[in-house]
Parts: sequence; structure tokens; C-alpha cells
Amino acid sequence: MAEKRITIRATRFDPDRDKAPRLQSYDIPFSDESMVVLDALNHIKSHVDGSLSYRWSCRMGICGSCGMMVNGTPKLTCNAFLRDYWPRSITVEPLNNFPIVRDLVIDMEGFMQKLKSVKPWIIRKQDYPLGAGEHRQTMDQIDEFRQFSECINCMLCYAACPVYGLNNEFLGPAATALARRYNLDSRDQGLTERLPMLANSEGVWECSFVGECSVVCPKGVDPAKAIQQTKLDTTMRFVLPFGTREE
Amino acid sequence: MTPGWWLRQRHYFLYIVREFTALPLALWLLWLLFEIHRAAGGPKAFYASGSPAFIAFSVVCLGFALYHSYTFLSLAGVIINIKVAGKPVPSRLIVLSQFAAWAIASLVIAAALIGFAR
Repeated sequence: MAEKRITIRATRFDPDRDKAPRLQSYDIPFSDESMVVLDALNHIKSHVDGSLSYRWSCRMGICGSCGMMVNGTPKLTCNAFLRDYWPRSITVEPLNNFPIVRDLVIDMEGFMQKLKSVKPWIIRKQDYPLGAGEHRQTMDQIDEFRQFSECINCMLCYAACPVYGLNNEFLGPAATALARRYNLDSRDQGLTERLPMLANSEGVWECSFVGECSVVCPKGVDPAKAIQQTKLDTTMRFVLPFGTREE
Repeated sequence: MTPGWWLRQRHYFLYIVREFTALPLALWLLWLLFEIHRAAGGPKAFYASGSPAFIAFSVVCLGFALYHSYTFLSLAGVIINIKVAGKPVPSRLIVLSQFAAWAIASLVIAAALIGFAR
């Protein structure tokens, strides 16, 4: 029986030599039904063309490094099975809406700055002393923010967001979801420090609720929900009498 | 972003349709304002309800208004986050309550309009 094969078309771009990205085809063996797109890229790198560049690390949907456009949809390549595409060819491109560094590698600096700007860590007005023991939470308190804490910063939501594609100053889905994760945490007191970033002109109000960010999230996070609920919260803070605003 | 990005997939296309519905509704309101302005010249100058063009345009706009309302109320389940007795209200219940309120409001307005017409 003839060996099963699949064609991978991958973006190639060398900023020192190429004016624009181009696609290069690789015909590789599809030897195992459990093969994912990342396995195909690793095969190309090891056996066909060692110069192909891309990011990856854990191979199990945790690190968020291997996000790429797979046939036009943002996906973690470690979670995109070849069997779902075969016998069609698969086109692998760098994530939409980001500058390309080389081949399939994008420049994530802009995203990292946005992430840092919302201070995604627990902020206390006064440090909780170690001697006081654990800062306990009930299950209900954890459920308030649990889904938003699943974000792995893979940036698929940014690649799916046309608003970010048109205006890359937009704070964007993941950064807002993580800001909300901490704003909803009963241990956190940093809401007023995050609000200037969330409520400014490039913050949540830039979102026109396309909703595709939540569709492509590989971890089941709903960033669109985080953004819309933040809109509602900031509005309520504005219209409610001063005494009822949360600190 | 290419100009045709919204044709790339169904979800983007439906989003653009949702946003586009505001345009015919705005045009319909402008037309209605114009007709009200004409009504200053007496009942005969106001011909909106008897104009086939206005009625046809209104029917088209009703389709857009219904689609806009449907999408708006469906999204309420994502936006509204309320608790009753300490438990979060399920999104589906929130959406159903919005549609129920919409139906009741429509019935009340229809009854009032029919009442005035008599």
C-alpha cells in the first residue's frame, strides 16, 4: 500500500532577502493518525528544510507558543490534527494582525506591553502578612474568575479580532480577560489601578463585539464576555451614586 | 487587513450584517422625520401611511430591525451578570427574560396604537 502523504504549505519570509512573505510547499509522510500540524512542521525542520522557523514548546496546549493560522483559522498547531484536513493540503501562516519576524514567527512585543499595562497580578493596598496564613477563598469566589484564569497568552484571540487588525493600539481580548480575572479575585484590590487602561479610548470601548475571540480560544475562555462585562461595570461605576462605587 | 476581510468567514459576515442594520433604520427614521415635517402643511401633505414606497421601505426596515433586536437581545446573556440568592442567573434565562420583555412591550405598544386608531 502506498504511503499516505500530506502537503503542508508554510509561509517563508526572511526580512533580509524577501520583500514579502511567500508560501512554500512540503510533501511529507502522514504516518500516524495522531499527527498534528506541529508534528508536520517538526518533520519538515528535521528531515526536509532545517531553515524553517516557528515557535513551539510544550506540545500539549499549555504553553501557548505554537499558535499559527491553519487554513486561515487561528489555532494551536499542537492541537490541530492532520486527519481533520487530509487529503486536502494545509496552509500554515503566522498569526494574523502581528508583524512577522521570520517565517512563522511573529513579533509579540506589542502584546506583551499590553499585557503588562493591565497589571495581571494580585495588587494589595497592604501586603497580606505571611504570618496571617493562607488567604482563603470559597469555591464561589474562585468561580467568579476561574474561566478567565485559563488564558495561556497564545494570542489566537488577537489574530481573530478584526478590531485589533484595524487598530493595533486596541488593548484586545486576552489582556482584558486577564485584567478581569484579577478584578474579580476576592484577594485583589487593584481595580482602580487597572481602570485607566481598561476604560481609555483604546480599551474596552474600542471593541464592537465581533465575538470571534471567544470562538477561537483553545482554553474555553470567553474574552468577549470579559470585555462586555467590563463595559457594563465601568458604565455602572459612572452612573451609580458615588457612595456605591466599589473601591 | 484586506477590504474583503468580512467575507472571509460566516461569523465576520453576520457581524457586519448586524452592524449594517443600523443604516436602513437610520434612513427610515430620517424619512419619517421628513414626513412629520410635511404634516405641518396639513393632513393631506402627510402621505407616509398611504405611500407604497414608504410602506415597502418600512417592511424591509422591519426585517433589519427584527434581526438587530434578535442579535442585541441574544447578546444580553453574555453581558449581564447578575446573581439571585448568591447564585449566578444562567445566561439562557437572562436571554429568555429579554425576549419576554420585548414581546410584552410590543403587545402593549400595539394595543396602544390600535386603541388610538379607534
